[in-house]
Amino acid sequence: MSEGGPLDPLARLGERIDKARAERVRRQPAAVNDRSALQQGLGLGFRIGIELVVAVGLATGLGWAIDHWLGTRPWGMIVLFFLGVAAGMLNVYRAVARISTPAGYRRPGEDGVGTRGAKDAWDDDEN
Amino acid sequence: MAIELHPLEQFTIEPLIPIHIGRLDLTYTNSALMMTIAAVLITALTVLATRRAALVPGRWQSIAEMSYEFVADMIDTNIGQGGRQFFPFIFTLFMFILFANLLGMIPFSFTFTSHIIVTFALAALVFILVTAIGIARHGFHFLSLFVPHGVPKVLLLLLVPIELLSYFIRPFTLSIRLFANMLAGHTMLAIFGGFAASVGFFAFFPTAIDVLLVGLEVLVAVLQAYVFAILTCLYLNEAIHLH
Repeated sequence: MSEGGPLDPLARLGERIDKARAERVRRQPAAVNDRSALQQGLGLGFRIGIELVVAVGLATGLGWAIDHWLGTRPWGMIVLFFLGVAAGMLNVYRAVARISTPAGYRRPGEDGVGTRGAKDAWDDDEN
Repeated sequence: MAIELHPLEQFTIEPLIPIHIGRLDLTYTNSALMMTIAAVLITALTVLATRRAALVPGRWQSIAEMSYEFVADMIDTNIGQGGRQFFPFIFTLFMFILFANLLGMIPFSFTFTSHIIVTFALAALVFILVTAIGIARHGFHFLSLFVPHGVPKVLLLLLVPIELLSYFIRPFTLSIRLFANMLAGHTMLAIFGGFAASVGFFAFFPTAIDVLLVGLEVLVAVLQAYVFAILTCLYLNEAIHLH
């Protein structure tokens, strides 16, 4: 594993692994894509379901608490309920906008995020 | 151990070793025991499996390497530049929650992520870290996160509170998601188990459902750890790069 061994067998092994990987992707590209899409979709589904509920519930609770302290019943609760709905929808929108094309927000692919370059830099760092 | 007929009994915290320091109650509970087991197992996996690292990895080394690469990939695609320095944090977080959830799937063990205080502590840690990093990196400019640009000034009166709210809600969504999923799943398993115990001859049906649910729960266990880690990545990305 360390520097002791000759580099040649290492390089050959690397080549063989790369070839085998390429072969596998070539043979069943759809399955690989499907799995990662499924994983992403499931992750997203589990994320956004609760996002809206918690935002509305928490904001309304906060409004109720503010009313309780300041005696502004029912205005704090009403205002914060709508703010909570808006915040929840905004969070859901942002979560979803990362896959489809967003209006006004950067996609993960831009600005060096999620590009091949970052990955390569990581691999280089390791060696 | 007796069969638990009450579906919520499985979440009971039981003190194992009472520890009181001054007014602090630091009692070692079954929850803390499971945390210790999770931490020990993760350390064992990552240290022992790679101690005699081979070029062609064995089973255990493969598991350790796969989890490493999984988290590394997640950081690369979600944070990108400057994300590598957070690898230890996110890897620890991911493995801890993953092991917590999976250890909870073992019958008669205890799922500590089904307690809101545990998940909230983790989420609050993430939230404080992200905010601190954002402020340390960008100073006062960090507040621009709450001011969407290209918006008329009048609308800002409405949008800034919404942005603030959606930011401060994060630790709650993060913790409630994990806690609610684990709590609901394990309660459901116990309820169907209770059905099976009480209907006698027809026990086959609830048992069959339980078998299916165990599969679903394993999926949820892994997925929730993934979601928690990926959201941490997204939040960190936002704090580092600012929109």
